[in-house]
Amino acid sequence: MIAQLRSEVYKWLTTRTHIGVLVSMVVLIMAAVLVHAFGLPVARLQTDDQQYGILLDVGANIGALFSALLGALCITSEFRTGTIRPTVLVRPRRPRVFAAKVVCSLAAGAIAGVLAAGSAVAGGWLGLTIRGVSVQVATGEVGRLLVGALVGGALWAALGLAVGAIARSQVPTVVGLVVWLLFVENLLAGDLPTAHQYTPGGLAQALAGSTRDAVLTSVPLAATLLLAYAAAGALLGAAALSRRDVS
Amino acid sequence: MMATLATTAPVVVDRLTKTYGATSAVTDLSFTLSAGSITGFLGPNGAGKSTTLRVLLGLAAPTSGTALVFGRPYAALPSPSAVVGAILESNDFHPARSGRAHLRMLALAAGIGWDRVEEVLAQVDLTGAAQRPVRTYSLGMRQRLGLAAASLGRPSLLVLDEPANGLDPAGVRWLRDALTDFAASGGTVLLSSHILAEVSKTVDRVLIVHRGRLLVDAAIDEFSDSSDLEATYLRLTAEVTS
Repeated sequence: MIAQLRSEVYKWLTTRTHIGVLVSMVVLIMAAVLVHAFGLPVARLQTDDQQYGILLDVGANIGALFSALLGALCITSEFRTGTIRPTVLVRPRRPRVFAAKVVCSLAAGAIAGVLAAGSAVAGGWLGLTIRGVSVQVATGEVGRLLVGALVGGALWAALGLAVGAIARSQVPTVVGLVVWLLFVENLLAGDLPTAHQYTPGGLAQALAGSTRDAVLTSVPLAATLLLAYAAAGALLGAAALSRRDVS
Repeated sequence: MMATLATTAPVVVDRLTKTYGATSAVTDLSFTLSAGSITGFLGPNGAGKSTTLRVLLGLAAPTSGTALVFGRPYAALPSPSAVVGAILESNDFHPARSGRAHLRMLALAAGIGWDRVEEVLAQVDLTGAAQRPVRTYSLGMRQRLGLAAASLGRPSLLVLDEPANGLDPAGVRWLRDALTDFAASGGTVLLSSHILAEVSKTVDRVLIVHRGRLLVDAAIDEFSDSSDLEATYLRLTAEVTS
């Protein structure tokens, strides 16, 4: 397990894909936050709740999406390039290979989550300051956002890995994750808010401190449920990698 | 493990069948390889060669029958890299990763030191190109990188699927000499190929399969020359097809 983990970390460090994903995420978040900061009327930017809502919507949500993509890339890139074959030839006990990928994905997702939330905070502070709007978000709230995005990002990366292990093909996996997080969950939040409370994206928002009606108010419950989703996904992903042929 | 390696046949395939839905890729296939031999595994496209190799290497599960490596299923080998080296595809590399990084990645997983990576890079004459991304490699260079990966753990069995594809004449000659030396030192080779003339110069024995069934299991000496092998191959595969 340790040897495979070292190999997985080395894989992350020897291609630039992940750096490209993280840079794209930061650029996208900064742009989105600045658009909000300069595009919305000042009346919608003045209170603590208004400002925190923008940071959370942009930082935590996009962070969760990119964390999921990083997790998915961890395995779909192996199927796409064929390196899955030498990987499982060297380590034919595939659940251990998958376990090492889970650990790597959790770490990468946590990094992406914190980076996403941090980018949103930095962009928001910059935009509001330039526009002359007083920043109302307190330090404690920033801390809550960072911790929530860290945990949410880590668990969403494990979910992305699981989806990738089941789907194997990179494009459908990426499209599926984007459609789910950006469209399906948003539809549920508007039309079926009770159901949205229990979706993985809704739970990640709860972890980051969202106060929407469509989000659970109990952070421990949200953390437990999202952890359960990630654990179930990891088990399904490990089974999919182990039981199906590698062609 | 050493005693097991010394006393057990490197490969035993026994009544192996592999089906995909209603399609049978391999049917009731049996053969055994002895240590120190080079065996050519021949057949037209879709004959079941690659499927057999994948089952042997634990990448695919058999529908029935067994395929054992030194008496065990591949997945039950304690240190697979130290027992079996394999090339299945000429493109099993991340295009942006360097050749050296590819080998180091595998060495880390197998618990092999990076000094061994430099040794195998030198053996396949890729030291000068080791830092380049694999996407800049020619097909022949990729084949040599695959051979380097297969050799990392100093295995006693090589399973090679079309290893000569893309090699120039000097590369083919180098491969032949390397495999002959490997077998002379007690190693065993299972070599899938379409290049019958080259196979006839390299192997001790041939297995010809078609439509998943074994048609021929014969020593190479039973064929007078490469033309005889080719004629036999074409006659048998044409007969079954028609």
